Amino acid sequence: MNLLDYVPGDSFLHKLNPVTKLAAAFLYGIACILSNNVLMEAALIVLMILISSLAGLQKRALHLTKNLFVLGFIMFVLQLLFVRDGDPLFVIGAFCVFTTGGLSSALLMSFRIVATMLPLMLLFAITQMNDLCGALVKRLHVPYRYAFIVTTAFRFVPLFTTEFHDIEDAQKARGVEYDTKNIFKKIGLIVPLFVPLLISSLKKVDSGAMSAQLRGFHLRTVSSGYHEYPFHANDAVCLVCMALLIFVAVIL
Amino acid sequence: MLKFDHVTFSYPDEDRDAKHATIKDLSFEIKKGEFVALIGSNGAGKSTISRLANGLLLPDSGHVFVDGEDTTKVRTSAIAKKVGFLFQNPDRQICQNTVEEEIAFGPKVQGVDPEEVKKRTAEALETFELKGDWFPFNRSRGERQRIALASVLVCQPQMVILDEPTTGLDYKECIRIMDYITRLNKEQGLTVLMVSHDMELVQEYASRVMVLTDGRLVGEGPTNTIMKNMEILKQAHVLPAQIPMLAMRFGDRFADVYTVEEMTEAIRGGVQK
Repeated sequence: MNLLDYVPGDSFLHKLNPVTKLAAAFLYGIACILSNNVLMEAALIVLMILISSLAGLQKRALHLTKNLFVLGFIMFVLQLLFVRDGDPLFVIGAFCVFTTGGLSSALLMSFRIVATMLPLMLLFAITQMNDLCGALVKRLHVPYRYAFIVTTAFRFVPLFTTEFHDIEDAQKARGVEYDTKNIFKKIGLIVPLFVPLLISSLKKVDSGAMSAQLRGFHLRTVSSGYHEYPFHANDAVCLVCMALLIFVAVIL
Repeated sequence: MLKFDHVTFSYPDEDRDAKHATIKDLSFEIKKGEFVALIGSNGAGKSTISRLANGLLLPDSGHVFVDGEDTTKVRTSAIAKKVGFLFQNPDRQICQNTVEEEIAFGPKVQGVDPEEVKKRTAEALETFELKGDWFPFNRSRGERQRIALASVLVCQPQMVILDEPTTGLDYKECIRIMDYITRLNKEQGLTVLMVSHDMELVQEYASRVMVLTDGRLVGEGPTNTIMKNMEILKQAHVLPAQIPMLAMRFGDRFADVYTVEEMTEAIRGGVQK
């Protein structure tokens, strides 16, 4: 399962204006950053999973949460070892491994990173890149050129992954030992992987730019698209809810 | 040389798309020195089989034996010493700054003695009419394919797998590449498995054909027999090469006609009568 793929659907969440979705995801993230309470962070994660289950995305949300917690765990270990506030909690001989301050800060940071990233990642499950791009141009008057850069970057991710695997196969087939267990050897073998990837990406970008030009890319402005992205009452409700959430997060 | 023993394979969910079929209970054997063509329509599983044959993919059940060794038990890089693989797209493998380094790269990573590498590279440059100091990335398509082939054959594999070796090549380059391969096949007993849907190519070079539909073998046999078996070919959605097809239309008197020469002979004979 690709973590950034769009999941088709026509739920309440899917039907929101793309700009609202983007803003809401950011506001949710801000609420998570402002909150200073581990329980609140945990509640925000659970709330997000519940919200995504409204759009039938509970499986994706759980999967994402699981993966983000890997990141959270790294954060946890770093914070635990480097934050030195409070009383010593775990001491081996004369060396204090971690402190109370370290533990609470580590818990908070690891939950916060998961809670903050979850809404942003789930945004891609309910928003098609073209819609997001179109809405940014139509409603916020972002120049098409810039909106295009962002959406294209995301579109290229799966392409590069596939290409990368194919190149790895091609190099394996001629005897480059990527299946070696020696990690230092593996690092030295990186050239045969990245040179072809770089070359093929540059070629792709080149031909992409040319076909964009042939289709009149430079002429494209706000008035070029017929698709309208109106705001509805739901959008306002959603944004008000997010504002309330931030308020709650700050108070608690 | 290569043996598939009741092999079953399917792609994991995320990779499954219309392009790839699953392989169902497939068994066949290719002997040393054979030139076998694997034909079938797009998505029949041809490329999957070729990747199973050198350990890039491992079977879900059943076994693939390369030169008697089970592919699940040896590393792909070890199989690579015995089996060369020419991909459709040479750009995926070219990674060095000059053609010479590129050709030397294969034997070098396989641990061949440096002196020997030098000697083989020089030979390969000559046979394939390449210049050692070329910058490989901006050569023409045909030349890049030749560089790729040279760097595969310089490892002196016992078998080569050609995955649609002539896609995107003009006729001249195509013949050139196929002639090198045929020469090695005849003179040094190189085993060849060619995946292709170019029936003219198959008719001209392969001695045995395996026909694949939906991940199953629907027929195999000497090229000439398969080429006139419309029933099998129809199942695989391919048409025979043009001369055998024409010969079939003409009826029994043209039963042994497969090449342009034979066709010319047969027609001349008929006219003289």
